[in-house]
Amino acid sequence: MRLVLALYALLVFAFLNVPLLILAVFSVNAGRFTSWSGFSLRWYQAMLADGNLMESAMNSLVIAGVSTVAATLLGTMAAYAVWKRKSNWFSGSLYLSLVMPEIITGISLLALFQWAFRFLRLQLGMHTVVLAHVSFSLAFVVVVVLARLRSFDPSLEEAARDLGATEYSAFARVTLPYMMPAIIAAALLAFTVSIDDYVITSLVAGIDSQTLPMVIYAMARRGVSPVLNAVSTTLVVALGVLILISHRLRSL
Amino acid sequence: MVLTLAAPLLIVCAYSMLSRGAYGGVELPVTPENYARLFTPLYAGIFLRSFAVAGIATALCVALGFPLALFIARSRRPNLCLALVILPFWTSFLIRIYAWIFLLRDTGLINTVLLRLHVIGEPLPLLYTNGAVVLGLVYGFLPFAVLPLYAVIERVERQDKVLLEAAADLGASSTAVFWRMLVPLCMPGIRAASLLVFVPCLGTYLVSDLLGGSKTVLIGNVIQNQFTASRDWPFGAALSIVLIVAAAAMLYAGRRGGAELA
Amino acid sequence: MKRRSFLLGGAVFAAACTRGPRLNVYNWSDYVAPGTVPAFEREFGVKVRYSTFESEEEMLAQVMSGNSGWDVVFPAEDFVGPMLKLGLLAPLRHDWIPHLDQLDPAFRMPPWDPELRWSIPYMHGATGILYQKSMTPAPTRWADLWDPRLHGKITMLDDPAEVLGACLRKLGFSLNSGDPSQLRAANAEALAQKPLLRAYLNAEARDQVVAGDIVAAQAWTTTAAQAMAAAPGHLAFVLPADGFARFADNVAILRESRRVELAHQWIDYLLRPAVAASIVAATRTATANAGAQRLLPAQVRDDAVLYPPADVLARAEWLEPQPVASQKLRDRLWTELKSA
Repeated sequence: MRLVLALYALLVFAFLNVPLLILAVFSVNAGRFTSWSGFSLRWYQAMLADGNLMESAMNSLVIAGVSTVAATLLGTMAAYAVWKRKSNWFSGSLYLSLVMPEIITGISLLALFQWAFRFLRLQLGMHTVVLAHVSFSLAFVVVVVLARLRSFDPSLEEAARDLGATEYSAFARVTLPYMMPAIIAAALLAFTVSIDDYVITSLVAGIDSQTLPMVIYAMARRGVSPVLNAVSTTLVVALGVLILISHRLRSL
Repeated sequence: MVLTLAAPLLIVCAYSMLSRGAYGGVELPVTPENYARLFTPLYAGIFLRSFAVAGIATALCVALGFPLALFIARSRRPNLCLALVILPFWTSFLIRIYAWIFLLRDTGLINTVLLRLHVIGEPLPLLYTNGAVVLGLVYGFLPFAVLPLYAVIERVERQDKVLLEAAADLGASSTAVFWRMLVPLCMPGIRAASLLVFVPCLGTYLVSDLLGGSKTVLIGNVIQNQFTASRDWPFGAALSIVLIVAAAAMLYAGRRGGAELA
Repeated sequence: MKRRSFLLGGAVFAAACTRGPRLNVYNWSDYVAPGTVPAFEREFGVKVRYSTFESEEEMLAQVMSGNSGWDVVFPAEDFVGPMLKLGLLAPLRHDWIPHLDQLDPAFRMPPWDPELRWSIPYMHGATGILYQKSMTPAPTRWADLWDPRLHGKITMLDDPAEVLGACLRKLGFSLNSGDPSQLRAANAEALAQKPLLRAYLNAEARDQVVAGDIVAAQAWTTTAAQAMAAAPGHLAFVLPADGFARFADNVAILRESRRVELAHQWIDYLLRPAVAASIVAATRTATANAGAQRLLPAQVRDDAVLYPPADVLARAEWLEPQPVASQKLRDRLWTELKSA
């Protein structure tokens, strides 16, 4: 029984990971097609030489960085507020925005921006993308941080107050350190959903804010390109390193 | 929260009641026509199909995910196993779909290997089928099912260990323990997993476009099309509202039924 | 630590927002040579933000607000009229475009903008059938794509006007028909064909025909020429005898542009014969620039796929913008087709 289960798990792990492994293998294939024709880094060179790809990757990093910081700050505060005074209404809307089909989030944000921009002479651009990313990653942050807070004993904070700590320092020196692992995990999650998003971004992006997934989509629509294999492998490795670093941070 | 959820929704709601502009956008007067159109067999059929596809993908995700979550919960290195589940998430969703195009096409890896091994005489049509769409959805959303399932199984096996052992002591077979104790106890997690997979699947359009060869439309494709090629924003907004109501209703029912979302 | 990274992020963000002014060009993909933009930047000492779209709807959705930031866009002939009606286009000053005299005489009085007041034809093409030479008999008309022997080996374009257009021509009607009964009859043809199709694909069809996955595909001339160059000797292209669609992509300046003079310089630059010829050499597209054609090697210039002879072109129709009522019916028929 155990063996069957283990074999089964192995199969599913393979199902999940082998497609990406194959992309990685073919990213160092010299040929264009699905037959092996020798080792080569030419697709990585082509990737680095592609100005559009590099600029969009830079945009993605800036957008993901800024929106992660903002969403983590706001989301942590929101989670703390929700934890302090329970609100069913709020948590309902939280879950709704968590599972809302992306296309609807994107379209409703676009509608909001266009309506607001009639009054403020503004254009779609980096700022609208960042706003959109903050708004959809906020829910993820709140959920992760809230889950951690639910296992926190509120009397600890009260005890700190009784021992003479101000409200602020009780929060900063007792509650916040307890929340920290969840905050780091939440930030990481916010960063990954932000850097991965295509549907919402493509709707609210302006002329200066083409992101990496938008370029990837355009490339995939034009057919199989080995450069995409290289991009994919680079992404997995880069995010893997990031997650290892955050793991180290969390265990500090 | 108000700014990011309520305000955009109100605008979509308003759009859904207006008339279409000739080249996109919305115009007065207010009209119920967009909602009336929804109740024609054409769109009702598309809704039904979207529910069916999302339902099949969800059932597969839960059925495949449960034994996996069980294995992870009982394994000695759960973190490593979870990492193997989440690893594909570190690359972009688009690339994960693209990987399957690379594998499934006639001259893709699967067909090439099978042809070389003389298992098949000519390439199997794998890409651009309904099967490919469901495969893409399962591949994309399986981790969403595994994580909540793992959380609940891990908790149940820890908290209700006594219960499970008692059942075994009283002579229940391991199959009976699994189906009549473990699965019912894990129900909140199963509900959460189903919701987390079903609702996003319902609104998807990328998978059906890229792996389905645009041959089938799901409700997400129709919505996307209204805001692009058809330039009928009010109708797209009406479709969105219906989809949101469906998602919210399911969420409400799930939470009433005790789904553990976080 | 958090505050510092926030400030740092803010600084990066601000820097990203305040890049110096530059010309913003929004074009179809594969429509300039790799060196075209850098050479313009060097010569005029400006920066160009060059980005591409895959469908006109994508472009229109962006520029419709009249506040998108783009300066130069490339609408097809059926979008020039609507964009003009929406007040999106700026009038062109011909005295700022000295190379206008290089334009092919066939494109000096296009029906959608006879005086070239708002747009100048840039590239042109047509819709036909790209197929493997091994296919026997070779297709000559749209009806040949209804052959059950091709089951699972054909693709049509993922574009309502093109699919309905082919069906309308198969039945002998105009591509631009707005007549409900003709449109319904055409849609019935499309429904009958759907089980034979592998997929509805646009540019992705190129790779699949080259690789041999697909035997015949409804394709644009540009896609076809690129595919034929990638698989020399294997592929052929035909403009169907029962009639087909022609299109021309035009360069235009948006009314919202605040760099009108620079935009004119860009247009004039694209019209220089040497520049236009280098673009054609790199992208295998059909230019509307007569001066460039003279500079091209004979084998490119005489490419019958890109530059069909006049008697073939006589069978073609330009795609026209549809009035709202027929557009609505076409949308509905398309949804019916896709969900069948």
